[in-house]
Order: sequence, then C-alpha cells, then structure tokens
Amino acid sequence: MTDDLTEIADEVIETDVLMIGGGVGGCCAVAKAKENGLDVTLIEKAHIDRSGSAGQGIDHYEGFFTRDGTTTIENVSNEDWRLGRYGVRYPNLNVKYRLYKCQFWVFEQLEKLGVPMRWDDGEPYWIPFPFVGWERRKTGLRVHWTNIKPILGRAVRRSGARILNRTMAIDLLTKDGKVVGATAVNIRTGEFIVIKAKATLIATGKLMRLYNPETPMPWKYKFRYHFCPASSAGDGYALVYRAGGDLVNMDINAWTFRIRDDLTCSYGSFSLNDGVPMKTYTWDGEEIINPNATRYKQLEDEGKTPIYFGFDHFSEDSHKRLEVAFADERMLSFKVAEDRGFNPKTHRYELQDLSPTGFYRVSGIYIDENFRVLRGNKPIEGLYAFGDGSAGGTSGVAGAATGGLLLAEDLPEILQDMDEPEIDISQVEEQKQIALAPLAVEEGVEPLELESAIRDICERYVGMFKSEGKLREGLRRLGSLKDWLGKLSAETPHHITGYLECRNLLDLAEVHIKACIERKETRGNYFRSDYPDIDPDMDGKFFSQRIENGKEIIELREPIPLKPEYLKDAEEEKAELQTADAAS
Amino acid sequence: MYIKIDLATCDGCKICYNVCPQDVFTWNEETKKPKVSYEEECWFCGICWMDCPERGIDITYPVSIS
Repeated sequence: MTDDLTEIADEVIETDVLMIGGGVGGCCAVAKAKENGLDVTLIEKAHIDRSGSAGQGIDHYEGFFTRDGTTTIENVSNEDWRLGRYGVRYPNLNVKYRLYKCQFWVFEQLEKLGVPMRWDDGEPYWIPFPFVGWERRKTGLRVHWTNIKPILGRAVRRSGARILNRTMAIDLLTKDGKVVGATAVNIRTGEFIVIKAKATLIATGKLMRLYNPETPMPWKYKFRYHFCPASSAGDGYALVYRAGGDLVNMDINAWTFRIRDDLTCSYGSFSLNDGVPMKTYTWDGEEIINPNATRYKQLEDEGKTPIYFGFDHFSEDSHKRLEVAFADERMLSFKVAEDRGFNPKTHRYELQDLSPTGFYRVSGIYIDENFRVLRGNKPIEGLYAFGDGSAGGTSGVAGAATGGLLLAEDLPEILQDMDEPEIDISQVEEQKQIALAPLAVEEGVEPLELESAIRDICERYVGMFKSEGKLREGLRRLGSLKDWLGKLSAETPHHITGYLECRNLLDLAEVHIKACIERKETRGNYFRSDYPDIDPDMDGKFFSQRIENGKEIIELREPIPLKPEYLKDAEEEKAELQTADAAS
Repeated sequence: MYIKIDLATCDGCKICYNVCPQDVFTWNEETKKPKVSYEEECWFCGICWMDCPERGIDITYPVSIS
C-alpha cells in the first residue's frame, strides 16, 4: 500500500477549515471564517447558489425570543417546557440560550453579507407575538428571501474560499479519536478527493428521507418533500455516527399532515408569519381544531374526512400578504395554482393523516454550546456541527446562520494551538473503494429502489403507532436490505449520490428503530400501542446513540442544564426588565 | 415530460444545469443545451423555472399527484 495520498486521490487538499454543507449555515460560516483570516474549503453536493432548504427562498427568520433581544430564563424554559409537553427535551439548553442571545449581532452580520433583513419600509417586520390560541413564546422576522442563496453564494465567492460544488462527503477521517478531515467524491466527474482539515464543520441539513414525502406521490416521483431532499438525507448525521459521535432523540421525529394539495401553504404557517391563522375544516364545512393523530383517526371513523386548511375567511389585505409569502418562499406554487384553477380565496387545501416526517430541532447530532460534536459528554477534537442536523438549537435559518457565524468567530482561537492533522491512509483506501464501487456493478439495482424499500420499512413497521412486534420485524427486514447496498449500480457518477445516501439512510434507519424499541411508553406525540401510558422514569430524559470500539451504545440521559453563568445572566436580565416595567 | 425546456428559447447559459439541487439536468456538449436526464429525482422546487433568464422552462405537476 502506498503512503502517498496523491497516488490514491485525484485531488488532495490541506485546509484549516473544512465546511461540509453549503446551505445558509455553511455559507455564513465560510464567509465569516474567511473574514477571520482562515483557509477554508467548502464542499456542497449541489450548488451553493441554490442548495439547502432555503434554496428556492424562505419567508421568515425565526430566531428571537423578544423584539428587544432579551433572553430571560422563562423564555428558554418555556421553550423547553412546551416541547416537554410533546415528549421531548432539548439535550442541552445552553445551545439554545447561546443561539438566541446574540440575535441582534447575527442581524448585523447578515446585513453585512448583503442579506435583506428589513421589510419594504426599511424597518424589521416582526412576526406578531404571541398568537391567540397558538403557543409561541418567541418571535422572528418576515423577510423577502427568495434569493437568499444567490446572495450568500456571491458572498462566499467574494470571500475567496475554496468551493467544491457537486461534491459529496463519503466519510470523516479520524486519527487517535480526533477528526482530521474527510473524503469526498465529485458526483459529476467521479473524482475522488481527500481533504485534510484542522476543523471539520458539518451543516448538511435535516433527516427527512427515512419516511415518504409529505406530498404523497404514488408513482415514480418520490422526492416531493417540503424541504430540499438533497439536504434532508441526514448525510451529516451518518458521518458523525460512523465517526463515533452521538446522535440523540432518534426515536422522536417531527410529524405533520401530509399535504395532499401540494400548493404548499407551508403547513399553513405562511399566513401565521403575518399573524393571521388559517382555519381547519371537515369535508362538510365544520370548523375544527387541528387534530392530532388520535383525533384524526376518530374523524376518519366518524366520516368527517378529508380535512382541509382554508384561507377563504381572509381579508383582501391578508390574501395579498399570503401572495407575498408565496413569492418569498414557493414561487412555483403560483404556476401550479394557475394550472389547476386553484384560488385560495375560494378553495381549500386538502390534508391527509398525520405522519412522521423528519428528525431535527431536538433530534440529531449531539453538540455543546460551542458547537463541538460530543461523544458521551466529551467533545470530539476537530469536529463541529450546527444548523438543522444538530440537536438543541432552533431549527431553520436562524439556527443555521447563527451557529455558523458564532462558530466561525471562535475558530481562529480554537485553531491556534491545533496540530497539523495526520491521515490514516488505510481509511482513505477503504472510503475510496466504498464510494466508487457502484460504478463497477453491471445490471444492478437503482439506488432509488433501495431507498424506497428503506422508507417503506419505516412507514410500515415504525410509523406513528409503534409496537414491539412491528419494530423488531422492521429491524429484521432492514438488516436484509443491507445486503443490497453492494448490488446498487451507478451508470454515471450522478448515481453515486443516491448510493451514498442509501448507505447513510440504512445506518440511520437502524439507529431510529433501535431507539424506538427502547422507548417503552406513550408520551406527547410518541405513541406505543403496547405501552399506552407515560413512564415517569423517562421524565425529562432522552436517548443518545453512538458506536464505541465497534459496539453500538444506547444510553438514557439527563439533559445538560443551563450553565451557572447563563442562569446568572438570565436572572440579571429579568431583574432589569422588572425594574424597567416598574418605572414605566 | 413534466419539466420541459424550450430549446428554441434556451440560450445555453447553463444556469439550470449549474444550480439544480437534485442534479436533474445533464449538459449536451454538442448542442450546448441542457437535457432533463433524471426527472424522477426532481422535487419540483421550481428553481430552474425561476432562474432561467429566458423563461425557457415549464414545469407541470405529474398526473400522479392530481
């Protein structure tokens, strides 16, 4: 075996910072890290100008607890409490506190990058807070961000960072327990790339693709997710898991209505971002409260379905605001509505039953408030994560942008005393073989067919209402699917993407099912038909999973509490507010 | 058939080929025009339709979702 990397790889890059993922978070991190004088390499499996879940636009930035920047302990606790009612806890509240604390600094940084943070009148447009009947304890901004990605793409190019578009990470490289970079493949040319890095940052988005899209497509189009499927494959989760990092809350996934009428009113929240709630109706016009999974079943049994979202009660002004939201986030919806003769002033959007969707917000990569990826409670040297794929922050662009900017601000000091990374060349050889193997398989299986089988197992044997027998059968069948990975073929390098995604999804489906087997209770929106009651021993706890010395570890853990200095800061802030209130 | 490029209108700028998040297009070096090669991987985001400077791409939702 050679010890010369250039004999194995088509390109070898040495860099201070490797950013895996060029969505909003990755682009912000790269621009800031370059501003701070670091050598930065960004790899993105699509193209930074339109990649990620904000690729086609987004209408809101949800990163503030209050409009004056205060972050009292009640706000952080309320957020945790609100989610606690639904069965989940933030694994580390310090992440959330840090993300929300610096929002006005983030506002300035985004404006410096050219991102429009203000409304047409030149002022911030605050999302109305709180809503009547809607339990939000925070606020955010309505924004015109149809073109946020081209704007950030331009900022990244101007920064002088090394950008590798159409380049997908295969695996992280590790040495003596540290992460020292990654291997990657160009999914158009098939070039194999090795990147040595002092710090590897991961912001590859959510995990949604263990389940079918929110918009069901019964034939061959299987990617109509609400968020970009390329950045919903959980790539970062799998990279971290295989490198020995912790994934948390992988039993708890978000859920939503399947949106049958895919004109995408964004789960109904477009109008909420302008302060006007939609209404929900049965087929015969009875107004109802948004049902949970159990109530939807009852409605079905009562003959009250289909159910619909309606905007027909809106004022003319609210309808115009809704149009603006579509222009900001889902412009194609206008064309689709026109094709169908659909008018939200008179028609209603059909919803189907609630179904599991993705793993984010509280689920994903376990990080601390410095965005270090954790193994147990210890950080893995050289590895960082932020954004949707990390557990414990806010989801959406606020978490991604804030995490990226904060981390990039800290990096110069972090990297100061770091040794040059050393590569284990046997890992490189192995990862190259893995990535390029499907190019040599003739008459093999298409990756999408294997992915459909993985999703079918999660739909059929996990789903909303779980039980021991179904979960164990699902795990058994998933095991037999792993044999098919070696039979996937890639006629061109394009299909290497799907192959690597299947590899990731197989690992993550196993993590998900094993976590579900462990949670033997029903709590919030986590349903076990065979354990219909809350288990009080599980109160406030969450599962973490990792690979250690070749063995899978699953642990039930307590959340990391707020640090004393954050508590003190929050209490002082609260006292100042009380004094100000008393004086006024 | 659901993502249609009007090749007469297309000026070969490569924007759709460059930015598609799902890498649905390939590039024909002879004609210098894009081709929809992986339509089943399209997620119907509309980015190509939005970004084409010549308004040369039409997107219709598949019948299977009607």
